Amino acid sequence: MKNSTTAKHAAAAIAIVATAAIALTGCSGDTGGGGGEVKIEMQTNFGSTDPSLKVLQKITDAYEKDNAGVKIDLVPSTDTYEDDIKVRLSSNDIPDIWATHGWSLLRYSQFLEPLNEQPWAKDFNTALAPAMENADGQFFALPIDTDVAGIVYNRTVLKDAGIDPAQLTDWDQFEAALKTLKDAGITPISSSGKDSWFAGNIADFLGSGDFTDAELEGFKDGTFDEKGYTRILDHVASWQKMGWFNPDYSSATTDDLGRSLAEGKTAFVFVQNYLVATALGFNPDADLGYMPIPSETGKPFLVGGEGRAYGVSKTSPNKKQALDYLAYLAEPDNLSELAGSIGGIPGLTNATSDLGVLTASYDAFVKPGDVPLKPYFDRVYLPNGIWDTMVTTTDGVITGQMTPADAVTQMKSSYDSLR
Amino acid sequence: MTTSRSSIPRFAGRGLNLLYLPALAVLGVFTLWPLVNGVMLSLSNWDGYSPERSFVGLENYLRLFDDPNFRTALGNTFIYGVGSTILQQVIGLGLALALDRSVRGRNVARAIIYLPVLVSPVVMGTMYYLFLSYNSGGLNDLVIALGGERTAWLSDSGAAIALIVVVNSLQFMGISMVIYLAGLQSIPTVYYEAARLDGANAAQSFRHITVPMLQPAFATSIVLNLIGGMKLFDVIQVLTAGGPGYSTHSVSTLIAKMYFGSQRAGYASAMGVVLFLIIAVFTLLLNTMLNRRRLEQL
Repeated sequence: MKNSTTAKHAAAAIAIVATAAIALTGCSGDTGGGGGEVKIEMQTNFGSTDPSLKVLQKITDAYEKDNAGVKIDLVPSTDTYEDDIKVRLSSNDIPDIWATHGWSLLRYSQFLEPLNEQPWAKDFNTALAPAMENADGQFFALPIDTDVAGIVYNRTVLKDAGIDPAQLTDWDQFEAALKTLKDAGITPISSSGKDSWFAGNIADFLGSGDFTDAELEGFKDGTFDEKGYTRILDHVASWQKMGWFNPDYSSATTDDLGRSLAEGKTAFVFVQNYLVATALGFNPDADLGYMPIPSETGKPFLVGGEGRAYGVSKTSPNKKQALDYLAYLAEPDNLSELAGSIGGIPGLTNATSDLGVLTASYDAFVKPGDVPLKPYFDRVYLPNGIWDTMVTTTDGVITGQMTPADAVTQMKSSYDSLR
Repeated sequence: MTTSRSSIPRFAGRGLNLLYLPALAVLGVFTLWPLVNGVMLSLSNWDGYSPERSFVGLENYLRLFDDPNFRTALGNTFIYGVGSTILQQVIGLGLALALDRSVRGRNVARAIIYLPVLVSPVVMGTMYYLFLSYNSGGLNDLVIALGGERTAWLSDSGAAIALIVVVNSLQFMGISMVIYLAGLQSIPTVYYEAARLDGANAAQSFRHITVPMLQPAFATSIVLNLIGGMKLFDVIQVLTAGGPGYSTHSVSTLIAKMYFGSQRAGYASAMGVVLFLIIAVFTLLLNTMLNRRRLEQL
């Protein structure tokens, strides 16, 4: 009798453990829906309310209509998209398609299918090659748009202060303009320690024009140019000392900066052009643009590279269908519509998009081809993973918590450990 | 062949109950395995997502001691732990003493004070973040109404650290209050009556009866608050995200930053192991010390 009770206990215990084990087993690689349907997971990196997601959904609906048996699951982004993708990769639970947010080559290429043999690859915008192509000419993501950025400004504010952005071709002229704006009661530069990539952008944007070609190659070969990087942070430290940053720097959010720019309370923001869309949400009549960044080593320049781009997992069981869907997105009408919804220059040369309020800046600085387009400093010349240190050290200098020398020491230490 | 009774495995004189197994399985999966895995990771240079990882021995641990950011975070961790603990004991005990009396509305007051404990720290942090905001925060509106100037409260690292301690304490003082209320209500009133007959005043009764009798409550509340304070993450993340610079990071937030931001999962795991050891040792010492005092007073 006792033995049978023990057996029952044992059976109950085993059943509970087995149930728990089954419950704890992650379901992954669900490649099938009902009735032999192929289900493709696409991590879009668009927020659930992003207008671009609606455009992508419309294009996807049309694709599914033409391809019965294929279901594309468009997953909206969370605030921790980058971390989510890293966790998915580390646990080998890899989405079929995901947005590479600027890192298709340096971070994700080992997981992605090369796309340079795809039928649409002939239209790949060669301006993206430094950021997206490896030495063998392979690239790993479909570029929806080309990221071209400089210093975003409020045209009305500059005009009222008598400043012509096209004339701000070196740092002395730029800093004289900052002083004029400060004297006129305008916040010269707005940035954010809360949405801290704004701070990182400043060092990153300046870095692209701060070094000679030889010095840049040195970064690739393992030599961190401390003197040159100190030069970048000295600019930042002097701007901070002069009170040219926004007083709410530590707590300002993207929306705060967008509003401040739209309302003419701030003149300049070192940021990609997506902030313009945010600003226009607060004031649709705001007259905004972007200008080239002054350089230490030559002509003013713009920075750019991979914008919104999608890659296909090389281990996806649905690779064929995923590549077919990507080819559909790459069709000129679809890509134009998607790039237009983002407000960016299309990543393929056979597509077009309406740049809206930024058309004037595009026509002045990009279209003539006179202004160099340089790759983002960290993405090409610094090791993968250093961005976070770049953000924090620049933030430290802006808030006066670190001297440029302290920040450079931290950057070098991070550079050495990540190589 | 019969099995003798003595051959059945026993724990502390009781027969092995197989119903322990599910709990052991859950503990193993959610606590022991992550712990072992974390230690293994701390001996590698893994970036957090690549298939490759190399064994680097104690290199991550040796690097910790040269890392100024880790030293700052460790110092802050103690400030958050000890600061929150002291503040919560003072406020919690004060509230418990006030609400132990039969005053009108005390149950409502207890409920209101305990309510923030039930709110997510992220929500709480966000509320205070908005309250402290430079442009539209209630605190600056108040300062301006009183004739002062708009202040960037979270831009100064010292002020930000103090505010993190205060916000954390205000949220969790309800726990201390409840623990002390339970303690106060377990003290027999006959002691106070006897003291009153002997001519003791309120302060003497508090010192010689309440404080000694509350020793178990002190031990529980202090240990709970200290562990909570030293593991503090969400409030810091929402209020300052560790900034300005690295100045308000706790070890917990620095671990997240290193793991996901800097892609140094091995190094972050080493920090995690060190934090675990520090909290374990601290808790053990504190428990031993408080229990010894309690025994001395019995």
